[in-house]
Amino acid sequence: MMLSIPHQQRLPIAIAALGLLFLALFLLYPLFNVFGASFLDSEGGALTLGNYAKMLGRPFYRQAIVNTLGIGIAATLITTLISIPFAFALARLPVVGRAAILALASLPLILPSFVSAYALVLLFGRSGVITQWLQSMGVGFGSIYGAGGIIVVYVLTLYPYVLLPTVAAFKAVDVSMEEAAQNLGSSPFRTVRTVILPIVMPAILAGALLVFIETLENFGVPFVLAEDMPIFAVEAFKLFIGETSPNPSSAGVLGVLLILTTAAVLVVQRHFLASRRFATNARRTPPVLNVGWGVQAASSLYCWAIVILALVPFFAIVVLSFMEFRGPVLHGHFSLDNFSPLLGRASRPFFNTLIFATAAAACATLVGVPVGYVVARQRNGMATLLDVVATLPFAVAGTVLAIGFIVSFNSGPLMLTGGPLILVLAYTVRKVPFTVRSASAIVHQIDGSLEEASISLGRPPLQTFLRIVVPLMLGGILSGAVLTWVTVASELSATIVLYSGPWSTLTVVMFQSLESGGAGVATAAASILILVSIVPIALLYRLVRRYELD
Amino acid sequence: MAAIVIAGASRSFGPVRAVDRVDLTVGDGEFFTLLGPSGCGKTTLLRMIAGFCELDSGEIRFGEKRIDRLPAHVRDIGMVFQNYAVFPNLSVADNVAYGLRARKTPAGEIAKRVDEALALVRLAEYGKRKPHQLSGGQLQRVAIARALVIRPQVLLFDEPLSNLDARLRVSMRAEIRELQKSLGITAIYVTHDQEEAMSVSDRIALMNAGRLEQVGAPADIYRHPASRFAAEFMGTTNLVEARALGREGGLLSLRPEALRLSEEAPDAWPRLAGSIVDLEMLGPITRLGVRLNDGTILNVATLDVPERRLRQADKVTLAYDPARLTVLR
Repeated sequence: MMLSIPHQQRLPIAIAALGLLFLALFLLYPLFNVFGASFLDSEGGALTLGNYAKMLGRPFYRQAIVNTLGIGIAATLITTLISIPFAFALARLPVVGRAAILALASLPLILPSFVSAYALVLLFGRSGVITQWLQSMGVGFGSIYGAGGIIVVYVLTLYPYVLLPTVAAFKAVDVSMEEAAQNLGSSPFRTVRTVILPIVMPAILAGALLVFIETLENFGVPFVLAEDMPIFAVEAFKLFIGETSPNPSSAGVLGVLLILTTAAVLVVQRHFLASRRFATNARRTPPVLNVGWGVQAASSLYCWAIVILALVPFFAIVVLSFMEFRGPVLHGHFSLDNFSPLLGRASRPFFNTLIFATAAAACATLVGVPVGYVVARQRNGMATLLDVVATLPFAVAGTVLAIGFIVSFNSGPLMLTGGPLILVLAYTVRKVPFTVRSASAIVHQIDGSLEEASISLGRPPLQTFLRIVVPLMLGGILSGAVLTWVTVASELSATIVLYSGPWSTLTVVMFQSLESGGAGVATAAASILILVSIVPIALLYRLVRRYELD
Repeated sequence: MAAIVIAGASRSFGPVRAVDRVDLTVGDGEFFTLLGPSGCGKTTLLRMIAGFCELDSGEIRFGEKRIDRLPAHVRDIGMVFQNYAVFPNLSVADNVAYGLRARKTPAGEIAKRVDEALALVRLAEYGKRKPHQLSGGQLQRVAIARALVIRPQVLLFDEPLSNLDARLRVSMRAEIRELQKSLGITAIYVTHDQEEAMSVSDRIALMNAGRLEQVGAPADIYRHPASRFAAEFMGTTNLVEARALGREGGLLSLRPEALRLSEEAPDAWPRLAGSIVDLEMLGPITRLGVRLNDGTILNVATLDVPERRLRQADKVTLAYDPARLTVLR
């Protein structure tokens, strides 16, 4: 068998085989079990469609579908409508402090969205700081619980997904396109509508799709803000926790529906974008437009308002965490009491968070870099399959994957439930799409003839990979690992299903104190999470800067 | 050093036969060039020798040893790439030492041989530099030193000069030729530039659509093209039906420099009457387009003669060297 495989194909095939094996065991097998659970009766014996009939027959769950999709669509539309002018302003108008806006605008991507939701509750919730202050002055306002609050949080935390690619797309439109349109007699407004927007549309849609999928899968935000309103990801979790029978059939049904929805959206997007790919290789970046100070002031105000509004909740949490709470009630004194348990006698979750994030970032990198290399370099069926499977976790909600893990690994030779490894593996699988994408993006920029030069000079393919490709990828690998680390540290949806006993994390602490009303510890945990997210990114940024100056 | 024998080598990519039953023997120490338009299979053939492209059928031998089943890293080949492929993360000296380290050469010897190799390509002082501090021509010299230092059996060049500017290309090709001859290493050189191929090669294999069109010394192919493709690809030529020259036979190739104005040609050469439709003064030579009475247009290249006065639409009489007619079919 080995003899029939060409020499230069052996390393990629070995990597692809190992990658597929890993993903088959820790992604496809758990997902298969979730599917299976949804088609078996509650004892796990007979095949049935009864679970689907039962779930879809209940108005409560039908409502959950309507709510989830409705909130998702609304949040996506608002996000997109806000982000397009924002992106255009950043790319083409003389906005004040553009670099700072761009840096601040990417922060929500690394900050945990449920912390923002929680801040909203602390400020505007039933016993919120601002609510009480307004009440004391006799002013009331509508509830932030329910769809409205959830949509607000989604818009404020997810807008960078649309903004950042759209800014890049606006900048990638070659000026000559515009000049050609104007030369042909098109007014500036018509040029934007008929030439520029169609060119940037694929980027906008790709971003909007990410937003929509995030809203479908998000667990933390609706958990904090939905109250009695049924939302998919939350109900799947509640059903699973509440399910007493050996087969998690009801949670399985919700999980399957969630996966199918996401997959359908992805397929639609692929079809739509397939015919709309424009080469936008700007030779000349479009210039900043000459506008009056009125437009400049208005656009600057608009951009800064969104950026600041999105970060205010996080800032508020940090401030509140240094204040004294008695139960959920805030007292206006400075205090470090909130932090003392988390960093003192109950410091275990803090260290668990750091250890899990480190282990998961290492594993995801270890899987993602070789797989990304193969996906970028190979053009055969196996590489395509690997690419598809490695992208799949992106379409699977953390809650659903975690349920699959529990069903798959609670007995037998691979008994993982109750330990820390199951968390690390779940994080790894969830982050693999990201590490694979970023690795393959870097590999695409490395000239393939470098590898051939090394091989023909006498280094076998594996040594060549380790000595030439990996060193050249190092900067990108490091950035990818840090981003993975940061997002794992604030992972909630899979953690909440999988943690057990001593293996809780900071997000679990927050989650628990939300339920028990211990606002003090929750704010402290949230503050630490914010710190844990920002510090590595800042360090990375400095490192990259220094490297570039070198 | 070894002779290279390629026998019946074929490779298809989908429906395209990139290399189609190629038989070739490259002599020991020969400078051999694969020449052809893009997509003709010359690079695929080179990559087969290097080990980066599998053969569907056929075989490749270095001397007696069959190498087409060997992995690329044990073939003992020095390869120079179009885009240099100098490792950007290593210094110039480390780039050159790379192949020696892979062969576990002792450190002292590595240092000595790296210095020699760098001196050979006139980069003796550049060992400590990083690739990004070097120009394109210098990078290509590093790549050549890196390929030479391992004392390979065969040197392969994959369009090594096409990223350099025109002036540098001319001086580099002379340098490459000189190095190869002084070291006596068998070299296979791929290019699409006919002039470059003629200037460096002992022999040229002209390729077209995956097959060998003609193999021979540069002057032979130029003077005696075996096909219409060879005649047209190796420089410019006039393809004329024999009738137009009042001869028997089919299609003829007549090089522009085999034509002269009647008064500057030997009496024995046949004459053709026509008028000038095109006139280009290029410095050392003047190009003429002459329409014969039957409408055939011939391109003529003559050396510059200061006292000559030619103008558009002038009636002229041409003469051609009958020995330089090539019958193509």
